[in-house]
Amino acid sequence: MLLRGISWLVLFQLLGTGLNVLLLPMLPGPIIGMLLLFAFLLLRGEVAAPISEAAGSLLRYLPLLLVPPAVGVMAYAEAIAADFWALAGTLVLSLLLSLLFAGWLMQKLIDRQQRRKERQA
Amino acid sequence: MSGNLAAAAQAILEHPLFGFGITLGAYQLALALFERTRWVFLQPVLLSMTLVIGVLLLCGIDYAEYRASVSMLSVFLGPATVALAVPLFLNLKRIRQLLWPILLTLVLAGSLATALGIGFAWLFGADHVMQMTLLPKSVTSPIAMLVAEQLGGIAALAAVFVLITGVIGAIFGPALLSRIGVHSPAARGMALGLTAHAVGTAQALQEGEETGAFSALAMSLMGGATAILLPLVVALAA
Repeated sequence: MLLRGISWLVLFQLLGTGLNVLLLPMLPGPIIGMLLLFAFLLLRGEVAAPISEAAGSLLRYLPLLLVPPAVGVMAYAEAIAADFWALAGTLVLSLLLSLLFAGWLMQKLIDRQQRRKERQA
Repeated sequence: MSGNLAAAAQAILEHPLFGFGITLGAYQLALALFERTRWVFLQPVLLSMTLVIGVLLLCGIDYAEYRASVSMLSVFLGPATVALAVPLFLNLKRIRQLLWPILLTLVLAGSLATALGIGFAWLFGADHVMQMTLLPKSVTSPIAMLVAEQLGGIAALAAVFVLITGVIGAIFGPALLSRIGVHSPAARGMALGLTAHAVGTAQALQEGEETGAFSALAMSLMGGATAILLPLVVALAA
């Protein structure tokens, strides 16, 4: 079951990689693969058990998969140290402001839609 | 005897499984510590990264060597990205209901994230190459690396900024969002995925399936929009 699901995910990723080279150089293969799988699920109208199982297992370990690229920080320690305060300030401030703005705006828009629906009902 | 011990240590350090082993070990330790303390600075990706870097420095192993030994983990990052289609599909009904809020938030907050990145970098005096490297920091790393390179930044460093951004988002995001009264899973997911991409999405998945789905959605929309629009905007502005 797990193997069959992973085979499907790998197949979609490889299709995505092919399309990336052929048609869409600006979108990475895995993102195209995700869109393809999404389209496939829309056509099927349901998530088959093997795909559901494989996706669940992989996504549970997503933080682990992100550790190796994170360790890449050590290769750029010097470049980062040279501009440390500018970089730290930029990353922290721009992230926090935009994250809070995104959450606040989305919450407001959801609340507004809710109210409108209640008024109509 | 001590010569044999040194040879044994050497063999272990040079074994292709060594990097993989310390990554698995560090991650489980980080997860256990985080679950016991629930202290935000012990965010699992950040803590594992610190532990792994510490061990590598102690043993005198460089990043290229480490990266080669964890290629079997890295290779699953692609299929894991593809797998995000599943929560997306399962929450399709809710996404359809919220189509306009999603698109508006994407355009406004996405532009703000990008503009603030370059604005602060300019304000704090980072040079042009650094500014171009910082621009795509809110998108998932494969896209960020591509875009940074197109704009004249440093691809590998862009990936590093992406990760730092994600980790900061995952550490401070959930508590701050609660503080300002953002409680709807859809809004929390949008905020995390839009600004903190994959690490934010990993965090969002911990909160629940709906939060995770919106985070995955925001991450892919932001990635696609940045990949297509950012090089255009920079070309027009230059």
